[in-house]
Amino acid sequence: MRDIRFSKVFRIGFAGLAVFFCACGSEIESEGREEHPLPEGVDVVERPPGVAGDIFTGTSAGTPATFNPLVAEDATSSDAIQRLLSGLTRFDPVKDEVVPSLAESWEISEDGRSFTFHLRRGVRWSDGEPFTADDVIFTFDAIYDERYPNRMQMEFSVGGEPFEVEKIDDYTVRITTAEIYAPFLLYIGTAILPKHKLYEAYENGTLLRAWTISTASRTPREIVGTGPFRIRSFRPAQRMIYEPNPHYWRADQEGRRLPYVDFFIERFVQDQNATMVAFASGQSDHQAITPDQVAWIRRNAELHDYTVSDRGPSTSTSFIWFNQNPGSNENGTPFVEPHKLKWFTDQRFRQAISYGIDRQGLIDGVIFGRGEPLWSSISPANRQWHNPDVKQYPYDPERARELLEAAGFERRADGNLYDAEGNRVTFSIITNEDNRLRANMATVFMENMKDLGIEVRLRLLDFSNFVNRIMESFNYEAGLLGFTGGRDPHGGMSIYSSGGRLHVWHPNQPEPATDWEARIDELMQMQLRTLDEDERREYFNEVQRIMSEQMPLIYLITPNIYEGLRNRWNNIDPPNMGSLIWNLDEIWAEKRLLR
Amino acid sequence: MTRRKGMFRQVLERPLGVVVLSVLGLFYLIALFADFLSPYETSDQDLQKTYHPPTAVFWDDGGLQVQRYELADPEVMGYAKIEGEGAPIQFFARGFEYRLLGLIPMDRHLFQVEAPDRIFLLGSDETGRDNFSRLLFGSRISLSIGLVGISIIMVFGFMIGGFAGYFGGFFDSVTMRFIELVMAIPGLYLLLVLRSTFPEHLSPAQTFFLIVLILSFLAWGGTARIIRGMTLSLRNRQFVLAAEVLGQSSWKIIWKHILPNVFSYLIVAASLSIPGFILGEAALSFLGLGIQEPSASWGLMLSQAQDMKVFMLNFWWLLIPAAAIFVTVIAFNVLGDVLRDIVDPKQKFLNR
Amino acid sequence: MRTVIARRLLALIPMLLGITFLAMLLMSLAPGDFLDQVRMQRDADPDYIERLEREFGLDNPWYVRYFLWLKNVLPWDLRSDFGYSFHYKVDVWELLGQRLPATIILSLTSLTFAWIIAIPLGVLAAIYKDSIFDRVSSILAYAALSIPEFFLALLALFFAARTGLFPLGGFTSTEYEFMSPIRRLFDIAHHLVLPTIVVGIGSIASIMRIMRANFIDNIRSEYVTTARAKGVPEGIVMFRHVFRNAINPLITAAGFAFSTVLSGALMVEIVMNYPGIGHLVFHALLQQDQFVVLGALVMGSTMLIMGNLLADLLLAWNDPRIRYD
Repeated sequence: MRDIRFSKVFRIGFAGLAVFFCACGSEIESEGREEHPLPEGVDVVERPPGVAGDIFTGTSAGTPATFNPLVAEDATSSDAIQRLLSGLTRFDPVKDEVVPSLAESWEISEDGRSFTFHLRRGVRWSDGEPFTADDVIFTFDAIYDERYPNRMQMEFSVGGEPFEVEKIDDYTVRITTAEIYAPFLLYIGTAILPKHKLYEAYENGTLLRAWTISTASRTPREIVGTGPFRIRSFRPAQRMIYEPNPHYWRADQEGRRLPYVDFFIERFVQDQNATMVAFASGQSDHQAITPDQVAWIRRNAELHDYTVSDRGPSTSTSFIWFNQNPGSNENGTPFVEPHKLKWFTDQRFRQAISYGIDRQGLIDGVIFGRGEPLWSSISPANRQWHNPDVKQYPYDPERARELLEAAGFERRADGNLYDAEGNRVTFSIITNEDNRLRANMATVFMENMKDLGIEVRLRLLDFSNFVNRIMESFNYEAGLLGFTGGRDPHGGMSIYSSGGRLHVWHPNQPEPATDWEARIDELMQMQLRTLDEDERREYFNEVQRIMSEQMPLIYLITPNIYEGLRNRWNNIDPPNMGSLIWNLDEIWAEKRLLR
Repeated sequence: MTRRKGMFRQVLERPLGVVVLSVLGLFYLIALFADFLSPYETSDQDLQKTYHPPTAVFWDDGGLQVQRYELADPEVMGYAKIEGEGAPIQFFARGFEYRLLGLIPMDRHLFQVEAPDRIFLLGSDETGRDNFSRLLFGSRISLSIGLVGISIIMVFGFMIGGFAGYFGGFFDSVTMRFIELVMAIPGLYLLLVLRSTFPEHLSPAQTFFLIVLILSFLAWGGTARIIRGMTLSLRNRQFVLAAEVLGQSSWKIIWKHILPNVFSYLIVAASLSIPGFILGEAALSFLGLGIQEPSASWGLMLSQAQDMKVFMLNFWWLLIPAAAIFVTVIAFNVLGDVLRDIVDPKQKFLNR
Repeated sequence: MRTVIARRLLALIPMLLGITFLAMLLMSLAPGDFLDQVRMQRDADPDYIERLEREFGLDNPWYVRYFLWLKNVLPWDLRSDFGYSFHYKVDVWELLGQRLPATIILSLTSLTFAWIIAIPLGVLAAIYKDSIFDRVSSILAYAALSIPEFFLALLALFFAARTGLFPLGGFTSTEYEFMSPIRRLFDIAHHLVLPTIVVGIGSIASIMRIMRANFIDNIRSEYVTTARAKGVPEGIVMFRHVFRNAINPLITAAGFAFSTVLSGALMVEIVMNYPGIGHLVFHALLQQDQFVVLGALVMGSTMLIMGNLLADLLLAWNDPRIRYD
């Protein structure tokens, strides 16, 4: 860090204060762990054995809203739940495949619709109660219950039909889908709930009000799970301390039960400035870092023995789109003025706009060159599904002008662009005001368009207002938005299919308006109805290709992800996609460093 | 009116008054001629020169030259001087078009540099926009927000406070209860809720005006209360009673007799509430609810500099808006203080 | 005295009704509702959203929701239900209660800080009226007021990072849970230093000005002249008589300080990650988690009234001449 010199007197004075306040060099002592025999069906990990002990301190942007998987809508809550509860399967991001979790193995029937799961024997919940098929049945009963609306009801149904879940014996469960459902194994890894703890709430109709943040702060042990950790303490808006689940079902090759760490402490933060500084001064073990902060945080890497690694492009996308909705509101006013709708539905116009955007300039100037231009609906981070051979639109104002001319637009002497009917080309773009990078994309876009003779007006709206406009009133011309990327393309169903709500340029179409939208609908249905991944990829590559040629969504850039991690941690196995510390149960520290 | 003249003369008799008046006068003059003084528009970007430090200026070839720089370290956006290379600064040269004082169409600017060279007197921001130009244009918003705001407060505060005090009774108690109600709702939250009820499709100017309106809505109550108190005591004075006996209408009495007597207090109360508007706009910008891109205001610029890298990578020029806010707010506070000493030396009414 | 308290508490009722009604009206004017977050998620289907709407009662118009809420709040069976948070699925009262202690502590420390700095300065400025000290101190106080609070908070963080003398935000250290009670106390105190200064510094100027003006006013009054004429030592005149009288308006002002408890520290809470109530309510407002907002307003206005009442009682204690009837 650069040094700012304070006068000596000042320093000494404050040093005195500091000694008064903080008895520095404090160490957290583990109270010793409960010893329980390993379950019969223990999962022995492949990574080399390590040493137990130490504390891992991480940060998370935002506070969990709930610990109830049926209620969780945000990433922070889901992340926390994943540490507390296990599912039947889980996704291994290094192997890029679905691997056994609470289910030791499974068989798929010939018709690809029926899955028989064999549960691990002898697994216990963190309070010592045995885990059996009844818990699995209970979980699905709760999910499908009419009284408890939750998002999994949709994930766990195909063609409107819920899955059929039956108990074969205490350690065998069979799940049957009405039709072949491609992302079945990925989705089925949902958290399994303990029947013995939640049955009462389920019966009396209060299941959605169970396992709240109040439960976690007052009676943390009430939240029992089969995950690597249980809650030791939870302080809203401050931190959560996890401790190892004494009944966890994974162990290393020397028969030591995981996880290795004594405590995992997660701090909840609102503003990143403070935590970035805290990491750079060696006060935490892990920190997600935005591209623009990388340079100065790296300066301290040697001093505090950490590494800031470039994890490649993020999975989130950002795009601009034009409102192509030909409908009108209840007063009969069209959502989009007819002459503008004509521009927006012209493929050449959209392509020209795309050529006119200086994506590389945005990356180099604004985020210090730490990002990548986006050409496809799937970020290059998702290697499994990203199609690298889509049409690209590198910055080329000349090409943009040609395309506009070909589409009948004309640049007049006043420098402005006019369409064939003599209307000046101008539109307004809306976006929500939540992040800096997005606002920068918008202003750069405006300037780029000015070079083409197009006047763009920017409106930053609050979230509710924004959602209302793009999904209900349709009263806008162009929008700028981003999605966080999911792993499976099926998650984008409502974006790609013409009847989807998030088919933002023209949502909820009863019939596809164009041939290419019809083709995408078809492909999306086809990819859903096969379990063969290569076949699915072929279909989905075509979807991406069509999207890139038609440009209904003009993709912009994706920043790279950076993660800072202290070097003392072992068994770190960087996955292609997702966080470095995905296997928190397996990591261990070489030696204890005094803080 | 003679009262007011007297007041300003008295301000000028005090050294502190002279200092703050000249500082504020200079600021407002700059804001007035912002478009002539700035070399670029607020939205002008140069993605190749982001986070550019202030450009040095030197004398060569019989004229002022602006130093050329190259991007030496893209990791930290470190720029290095290219020794001996510069571009001549042209005075009164052509640049973007504007209307001087909103009237005279012009395209001449105090100084310009031929593209692709750029002059950044106060550096550039994250999309390569000229910090100096943005600061000047931003001053228009930040300096006028208070003036517009206090005009609203003065009108509403005087009308409502004056009527309540003059008529008393039911109208008085209803208004006072309403003021208490508004004051009991935490201001910031009231602001937030009101802000989100903005109608759709607003131009930046309309947004600006609505923000002022909201900020004034939070502040008029206090003024109204003071005016009410003063009116109450004036109401039973001889000249008011005499006017009533002579059959003058209530409206006329308030206008002719009450207003002149409370006017100077109104002025002081107003100048003391200007800083609240400037800081309020900054706070709103920090929460993402203030003036919006690509317009500029000091609050917006400062909230964009609210970032550790600005300190750690030493982009100090991005913090200049803080200095601008600082000086202006102090100046208004001191001015209000001086005015108060003149108008209300015992601080009977203006205890704030 | 007792009737005064009773009357104040009675006055609270129409005020609470007014505020909550106004708040609900305003929230309904803003477009959208709590479920917008869900609507924007890629895998939420319309049916699910509709069912959530019914679950939250958002399919009713706002006034119906308000009266339903009011019906639950009124203690028919001696129990008030202020509703629950849509976001957290937790009882509103409990949610607010979790954040309240940190907020109250910070507002008390910052108020104390401001008083401790401002009152002596105000007194000195009054005694040495129009001296250099008077001018400089008032300009310094204005200077403190002139930095936007969010920026001041960042400066404080930067200071903490450079010197390492103070923690980088938060309310307690990570090791807090493992500390002895006394260490915990010190830990909290250590964390409170910077937020206290940042929040408190803004009110120094006004307190100082009030103190100075009142002090000057009282020095000039007749009883001081009388006391001096009687030969009462100057120190006793100043502190037993002038000071006690001059501080009265400040006590009233302190009561009003409670009105800012809910939102006063919002900026500091955000920048310094302080787990106060401001941020909770701020988010509830943005997300339109309506019952949290209503509950917070009820809490805030009750505190304001209580604060005023407390100030009046203090006033009566400090100045026996003041009587309430």
